[in-house]
Amino acid sequence: MEQRIYLFGLNHKSADVEIREKFALTGFDPEVSGLMGQESPIKETLVLSTCNRVEIICVSDAELDEVSPMILKSWAKFCQQEYSLLEKHIYSFQDLKAVDHLFSVAASLDSMVLGEPQILGQLKDAYRESVKNKTAGVIINRLLHKSFSAAKRIRTETEVSSSAVSISYAAVELARKIFGELQDQRAMLIGAGEMAELAALHLLNSGLKDIMVANRTPARAQELAQRFKGQAMCMEKMLDHLHKADIVISSTGATSTIISASQVKEVLKKRKNQPMFFIDIAVPRDLDPDINMLDNVYLYDIDDLKEVVEENLAGRREEADKAREIVKQEVDKFSHWLKSLDLSPTIVDLLNRGEAIAHKEIKKSLRNLGPDADEATRKAMEQLATSLVGKLYHEPIIFLKRRSREEGSSDKFIDLTRRIFNLDNEQAPENAHQNRKRK
Amino acid sequence: MLSFRILDFFIALLYFTGALSFLLGLIYSSKKTQDRAVILSIAGFGLHSLDLFLKYILGIGEILTQSQFYISLMAWSFLLIYFFLWWKLKLKFLSITAAPLALLLFTGSLAISPSTLPVPGILQGLWFGLHIGSLFISMALLAMAFGAGISYIYLDKKIKAKTKLSNVSKDIPSLQSFDRANHLAVIYGFPLYTIGVLSGFIWAAFTWKTIFTWDPKEIMTVITWFAFAWLFHKRISGAWRGKKAAQMVIIIFALTLISFIGINFFTETHHSLRP
Repeated sequence: MEQRIYLFGLNHKSADVEIREKFALTGFDPEVSGLMGQESPIKETLVLSTCNRVEIICVSDAELDEVSPMILKSWAKFCQQEYSLLEKHIYSFQDLKAVDHLFSVAASLDSMVLGEPQILGQLKDAYRESVKNKTAGVIINRLLHKSFSAAKRIRTETEVSSSAVSISYAAVELARKIFGELQDQRAMLIGAGEMAELAALHLLNSGLKDIMVANRTPARAQELAQRFKGQAMCMEKMLDHLHKADIVISSTGATSTIISASQVKEVLKKRKNQPMFFIDIAVPRDLDPDINMLDNVYLYDIDDLKEVVEENLAGRREEADKAREIVKQEVDKFSHWLKSLDLSPTIVDLLNRGEAIAHKEIKKSLRNLGPDADEATRKAMEQLATSLVGKLYHEPIIFLKRRSREEGSSDKFIDLTRRIFNLDNEQAPENAHQNRKRK
Repeated sequence: MLSFRILDFFIALLYFTGALSFLLGLIYSSKKTQDRAVILSIAGFGLHSLDLFLKYILGIGEILTQSQFYISLMAWSFLLIYFFLWWKLKLKFLSITAAPLALLLFTGSLAISPSTLPVPGILQGLWFGLHIGSLFISMALLAMAFGAGISYIYLDKKIKAKTKLSNVSKDIPSLQSFDRANHLAVIYGFPLYTIGVLSGFIWAAFTWKTIFTWDPKEIMTVITWFAFAWLFHKRISGAWRGKKAAQMVIIIFALTLISFIGINFFTETHHSLRP
């Protein structure tokens, strides 16, 4: 019987965060909840639950009006919420539409921040979970692997996740454009604040050498310095140490500017004009805007960075169209494979493959025999090759036919056959074996 | 010789396709095309080395008096320095100057008809080694710093003005690496340039029994040397870095180009390479 793919879900577009929280499926086990089992028409499931989306993918030979209530009921029951509330916010996709949706999710085309990379990791975790719980079968295995490779293809072929779309990443990207690798660079964090600390953290993660922390309250300076494994100092000493900093992140609550352009000019002399990058995250601004006029010094304030982020996001949206085209191609490929899971196309493919091999070999041997070979020899050889191939494939075909009459296991064997004889002409990725070992 | 003509043609073809694919790779930000460009340039450089070597071996005594040979050698040294900077600073990006300049000079060397230069036999070794070697390498360094300088000014302007970084500027290396290319070019280039110029004047003293003759070439060289010395001083003292150094290198390279091509070929000078 034909297997169908269903996808039910909530995401940031269809439901508010409160609803998503209520219906989170962390720790949901389809088998424990009675969704899957001997009697159930649902053969495979995968559960993805993140803060921006909750989705269930399942494979079943039943119709939508049978599967949908089953899934939603056990979902609502697990979360101890009303069925009707869930129904109101849910979206559902079927077959190729479901495949398309999953591929888009994996490639982060459906994310709140377009192109953000976390979702792929979360999807991989969800898949690992379903493999561990043995709720993933032939179709989900293939579906997820293909969604990962589609996402990878999109990441390399488009720029949908290239440029920075958060303030702190934009700052790191700019620092890289100025200094290149950051391993010899030193930063100074003046004041504190969530965004400034985040920027400092991202810089450190990008290989920054070390960080100095200046703060009005010495205790806070100490605390931050410890967190970033840097050097703490009080605000009064800040100017004396400024020449050691290549990157300065400022975020104090001061009402007037704390560093003027002429002060930076002095600092530059001390450091022999080595370039400096000032990031002013404070509102009102901490740093004199004229600093940007000096040679070898670059100043970005929060509005400048926001603008960079906006532009990058616009760029990603443009790239998303290219990415959707790739999703479409990958869905086509997948649908081709899905169709081949029936028994008869596989047998046809198998016999065709055999015949092709036989013909190729006959041609080769006849060429070796030369033009002098008599007709009888030729005939005998042709017969030998074709019957050999036929006999070789006879047993596997009988085996497949027998299995397909049994409930449930035919997909697995058809898929196996296709892979053993490589009927889909696939090339194994170079690292295929490494992945297998790690599992 | 016909076989050399064919070899020259292939070298020019490799340089041309190399320069073109680098440009295309940059415009369409395709790493593959850029890598192909580098392979093409390396292949061209290999053939070019062979070509120079064979010409030297086969035509010894005569080849050193031919202007073609020197221009071809200049193209070769541009690439040599490019590969050096690539290795030292990981600055593959400077293909943007190296490939087109090498192509231009190499095809230029093919275009001019052979001519003979007056080189006195006794001084040939010294003259070749010191004058040509040091001047060509320092010019090649300047050429690379010229490319780095233009890229620096472009990127600096973009970052300062806070304009969107386009695809092209995303592939550009950092400001710091361009400045490092400038630094290397000045630190090594100026002493080499000085050696080259001095050896030239010494040679002149032996040949014409006078050191300075107010020849356009000599005047130009002295102007360039002073500009270069000034930059060298400013760089060493740390007063100049980044944009100013980049601008100055562009000026100095322009001066050397005027001196090398403009004066050698288009004016009356006793340093003529004109046919």
